[in-house]
Amino acid sequence: MRIQVKRTGGFAGIDRHAEVDTSALADAPEWHVLAEQALADGRDTPVIGVPDGFQYQLTVDGRTVYCSDPRLTEPQRKLISRVLKEGA
Amino acid sequence: MRAIGASAVALPEGAAADKPHRTVHDAGRRTELPGRKVRGEGDEPGKDATVNRAYAGLGATFELFQKVYERSSIDGNGLPMTATVHYGEEYGNAFWNGEQMVFGDGDGEIFLDFTIAVDIIGHELTHGVVQYTANLTYYGQSGALNESLADVFGSIIKQHSLGQTAQEADWLIGEGLLAPGVSGKALRSLKEPGTAYDDDVLGKDPQPADMDHYVRTDRDNGGVHINSGIPNRAFYLVAEALGGHAWERAGQIWYAVLTGGELAEDASFEDFAKLTVAAARQKYGEGKELKAVTDAWSTVKVPVSNG
Repeated sequence: MRIQVKRTGGFAGIDRHAEVDTSALADAPEWHVLAEQALADGRDTPVIGVPDGFQYQLTVDGRTVYCSDPRLTEPQRKLISRVLKEGA
Repeated sequence: MRAIGASAVALPEGAAADKPHRTVHDAGRRTELPGRKVRGEGDEPGKDATVNRAYAGLGATFELFQKVYERSSIDGNGLPMTATVHYGEEYGNAFWNGEQMVFGDGDGEIFLDFTIAVDIIGHELTHGVVQYTANLTYYGQSGALNESLADVFGSIIKQHSLGQTAQEADWLIGEGLLAPGVSGKALRSLKEPGTAYDDDVLGKDPQPADMDHYVRTDRDNGGVHINSGIPNRAFYLVAEALGGHAWERAGQIWYAVLTGGELAEDASFEDFAKLTVAAARQKYGEGKELKAVTDAWSTVKVPVSNG
């Protein structure tokens, strides 16, 4: 599974992208569950967020959803922080 | 013309509309808002410098709008001011959620604590003022105007709290926010957009200084933090040309447009520029203020003539 996170907006207006390929990871099943939960809660189209809030684009094996601060679900928040940290 | 009267939001007993009513909360590195209350209005400073800076920044913002623009708080009607600090883990951002300000601690590698710069606190609260006035749509040029107004008043709040003239001010947004080792002096410069930072990790400050370099992009809500450099520089140029305190004539013109009722939610730079010209003429006649405003928009290449 290929998990991509793209972050845009924020006070600084600086983008960040990262991705994780889970195929070689020992904890791949855990990633898959998290990614599926995060995607299930996302929107199909981008939305205008709150002023200076981060906006995120999550892509898992070609399917993309959108979400934004401060209204992230816990799986979304967890996935985003894991990917941006581990894949950056 | 003080905005005192029947308040839509009930003020606490004993609170006056000409005094701030501040509350600072601590999210404890989690993301539930508003978090635990740690300092209320009139409470003595505690040990947490972040809480104290947020409290002081709310006060500096309230004071500018109250004393200079005769506006009582964010909504013009004494709205209580709420801030949450220590939001999230290593969270490198600050935002306005429609009701309150939220500040992260930064990751310590690129960004430090977002309460460090008083202009950032002022910036977030000004998003609140914009929401209660022109309510500029947060996308494209109207979004960049929303951002620019937050930067302009954020910078003025810093200048007012330090008693600086336009010449003395640094005109920077987020001075002190970048971690040691990051090549840059701040996040944005109203005076010289595009020059605030140039760093291996962070990249280069992408702000244009005039319309010839306007950035068309889908990211960042259509570049709201990028193209705001253009109206930011126009404001700086007006303040610099007039001299003295930026919150006086330059600030009065910008504030009149923000709150005058004629600025559309989907306003373009050109719409905004024309309203500043009209406001300068209405307030100060055919004088140097009008010339400063028309010259500034001409320098940043936003047309203001109707011809």
